[in-house]
Amino acid sequence: MNAQTNIEGGEPVVSAPFFLRGELLEGADVTQRSRDLGVTFATPKLPFDRLVPPRTEVPPLLNVPTSEIIDFLVETGQRLVAPDNDYVHECFDRMASTHILPRSVFEAVGKHAVAYLDKRILQAELEQNFPDPAALDGWIPKQDFNGRKSFVRAYAPRLIHVLPGNSPGVAVKSIAQGALVKAVNLFKMSSADPFYTVAILRTMAAIDPNHAIVKSMSAAYWRGGDAAVENVLYRSQYFDKIVAWGGGDAINNVVKYLGPGFQLVSFDPKTSISMIGREALESDEAMEIAAEAAASDLMMLNQEACAASRFQFVEGPQDKVDLFSAKFQRCIAERAEMSGDIRPLSMDLKEEVEALMMMDDDYGTWGRPDGKGLVIRSDVPVDFHPINKIGNVVRVDALDDAVKYVNVATQTIGFYPPERMADYRDRLGAGGAQRVCRLGEAGPSTVGNPWDGMYPLHRFVHWMVNEDGQG
Amino acid sequence: MGAAINTLTDMVIAEDRFSHSAADLHDTQIAALNERFQERRESIKLLAHRADEAGVTEITSLDDMVPLLFPHTAYKSYPESFLVEQKWDRLIKWLGTVSPHAIQPIETSDITDIDVWIERLEANGNYISCSSGTTGKSAMLIASEKDMDWSRIDTVQVFSWGSGVKPAEDRMMIGCAPVASVPKNRLIGEAQNDAFANPEWPRWAYPVPPITVGALTKMVVMRKKIADGTARPDELADFDATSTDRQKVLDDAIELTADAIIANRDKKLMVSGLWSGLYAVAKAVRDKGYSAKDFDPDNCIYVGGGLKRAQLPADYQEFVHQTFNIPADRTFQNYSMQELNSGMPKCREGGRYHVPPWIVPFILNQEGDALIPHDGTGEIEGRAAFFDLSLDGRWGGVITGDKISLDYAPCACGNAGPSVRDNITRYADIQGDDKIGCAGTVDAYVRGLS
Repeated sequence: MNAQTNIEGGEPVVSAPFFLRGELLEGADVTQRSRDLGVTFATPKLPFDRLVPPRTEVPPLLNVPTSEIIDFLVETGQRLVAPDNDYVHECFDRMASTHILPRSVFEAVGKHAVAYLDKRILQAELEQNFPDPAALDGWIPKQDFNGRKSFVRAYAPRLIHVLPGNSPGVAVKSIAQGALVKAVNLFKMSSADPFYTVAILRTMAAIDPNHAIVKSMSAAYWRGGDAAVENVLYRSQYFDKIVAWGGGDAINNVVKYLGPGFQLVSFDPKTSISMIGREALESDEAMEIAAEAAASDLMMLNQEACAASRFQFVEGPQDKVDLFSAKFQRCIAERAEMSGDIRPLSMDLKEEVEALMMMDDDYGTWGRPDGKGLVIRSDVPVDFHPINKIGNVVRVDALDDAVKYVNVATQTIGFYPPERMADYRDRLGAGGAQRVCRLGEAGPSTVGNPWDGMYPLHRFVHWMVNEDGQG
Repeated sequence: MGAAINTLTDMVIAEDRFSHSAADLHDTQIAALNERFQERRESIKLLAHRADEAGVTEITSLDDMVPLLFPHTAYKSYPESFLVEQKWDRLIKWLGTVSPHAIQPIETSDITDIDVWIERLEANGNYISCSSGTTGKSAMLIASEKDMDWSRIDTVQVFSWGSGVKPAEDRMMIGCAPVASVPKNRLIGEAQNDAFANPEWPRWAYPVPPITVGALTKMVVMRKKIADGTARPDELADFDATSTDRQKVLDDAIELTADAIIANRDKKLMVSGLWSGLYAVAKAVRDKGYSAKDFDPDNCIYVGGGLKRAQLPADYQEFVHQTFNIPADRTFQNYSMQELNSGMPKCREGGRYHVPPWIVPFILNQEGDALIPHDGTGEIEGRAAFFDLSLDGRWGGVITGDKISLDYAPCACGNAGPSVRDNITRYADIQGDDKIGCAGTVDAYVRGLS
């Protein structure tokens, strides 16, 4: 098929087809605009009826064993990274025009995410999320201390997934999770990436166009917040839960539609930080190691990821903290250069940074506000959200003074040295933090662990009960 | 001040000031921009930085000035912690990076709130205005005594030109909006009063307590405390209760003002306010059974600001005009902003906002980093930037958040100077927010302050 459509003889426009339970829907009825880059792309008109299977239909995956689902997902993973997968190649070609990150970065992330489609990982997800994963495959008999009997089922839910625009890896994970809980799924794609989800689903359909997984998945794009669409779709009669990533307007729009029977499972917008103890400043070598680890955490997805560190609380005197800051900036700049990412800072952000540079002794700056890696040292966190390879080193006398900056938006805290994590984690949890890890390890996490303060699969399913009387 | 600047600013009271075409003004304006740049490049720290970065040493064209224009956000770039934690010395130091004149030190140890800080600075000839940021930061703008003198003249000139009303000291002034009590608003009110009011008739001041900068920034401070997690429930409850009380006072003010207008309907009136307030008062007057037939056919209206996102019926302008019997050819509107020191009045014949000779307009790309190429004729659309040569207390070059259409061709009113079409929009309103991602800030967790 053609990746480009000509609209009224104007510039070629990238087209973003929809996927409807095994069928591809192409069309250029609507011209859309990507949020980050202002690029236009074309989509078909939304076929509402085909996006919402009626409730008279039993979910196609309900009685497909999870072992078979896992096998299918594993095979999908193999096909996704196969060199001859044209769906994926074509998708990355198109994404290059709409995505904020360079092609090499999102391609690596997209491929890396496929590692999730591994038999042991998927099994561990089920085992960690459910006390008895068999509840997904059948009705589990129960009997209480009164002798009363019943059956309980982790029943297949009807889910809308509102996918984020910053990380293409989420598409892989969301499809796998939707399949594991046997859900009827509708994926709302983002304007930064209205392609990858469809490429994955097409890869699945190529394996078996009639598989129950394929028949359980649809993906479409509409502009987030478009009341003409959301007022129609966001209803308990059509879906049980909306699984949304993000915050601000994106979530505020969703919240309007919540009500009995239509619940929100939110993966909240998060800020991640680092806490670096005085041990890191004890020698030049220690400083190098800590600076490199901190830069690694900061540069996750070139600081577009939620786990990417933005504020680094460093314990020690200003002269040593400044030495650390210089090394830290050098490590960020090296990684930035390797990634080939040369986005300039937005006008507003540059303005804020320059104002701090004008304030000389109150703030230290290493690097320039040019998107190539910058570190600002201050006594309190800066007002703006450090993004595009900017670290804000906040000097503290003791890490105890940094605890107050942990709040309900704090996700990952990279800690150095690791021996001190146990002294702090109770207080960090009280502040709202979700995850503490060793500095430099913001990326990896233990297979099957909770995310965003919950076991997501457990939240997705619709727990149903069949009472069976006094035994 | 340089000769070219003087040539342009001397036109402030000239009747034909809008008749000069951009082409005729070009050389003088470029010379004036260069005069101002040479005069200020060392004294404004941020400008020196910009000039060094861009390698600009002289202004020989509009292009040379583009990298030296300050985004309107430059005046919001102070660290908010200075405000929240009342670090008055630090705030003064920040002001010093955008002020061409040295700011004399003031005693700060006993300052209890920002209003006192502003008063002390004013006593030293530094006039601070704040924009009313409700959810975000407030812009903090410094101006000098000279700027205040200029505003006094310009505001009367702009209104008189745009409305056709001569300053004859024959009207009763009716305020229909709460006005932030910042120095510039205060003196504009005084200047309008001196020019147009009958000295026998005291001005009807909108009956609400003055909105001080302290009151404006309270919201900002509270928002930050909620985000930081340091706002306690009792404090929030008090804050909400105060807001409710304030709303009651605002609601009462509409009725009281309507009564005052009705009581003085035999006098020639000049009503002023924002559209939202004017509409509310007009509606109250109608509800009390009065309309055009009860008012003087020579009444006039002074409207400040745009709609500020207020939701009003489509015919709000006609409704207000017809209520107060304001002649159709008395429509007055002015395009300006806190960051500038001069107004651009709308002509009545062509319905376009006219740019005076001492304001140099720039139409930039959306990013605000380059001029949109054009041949100096016809209309071009893009991000508005202006250099206001009348400004003394801060740098005159500002990149706005507005998308405008500027026409270099003569207007239907006969004036040959550049003019702006009446379709100004804000980029922030056009772009919307369709962005969704898992990386975000604690701002998304703050509810109920907007």
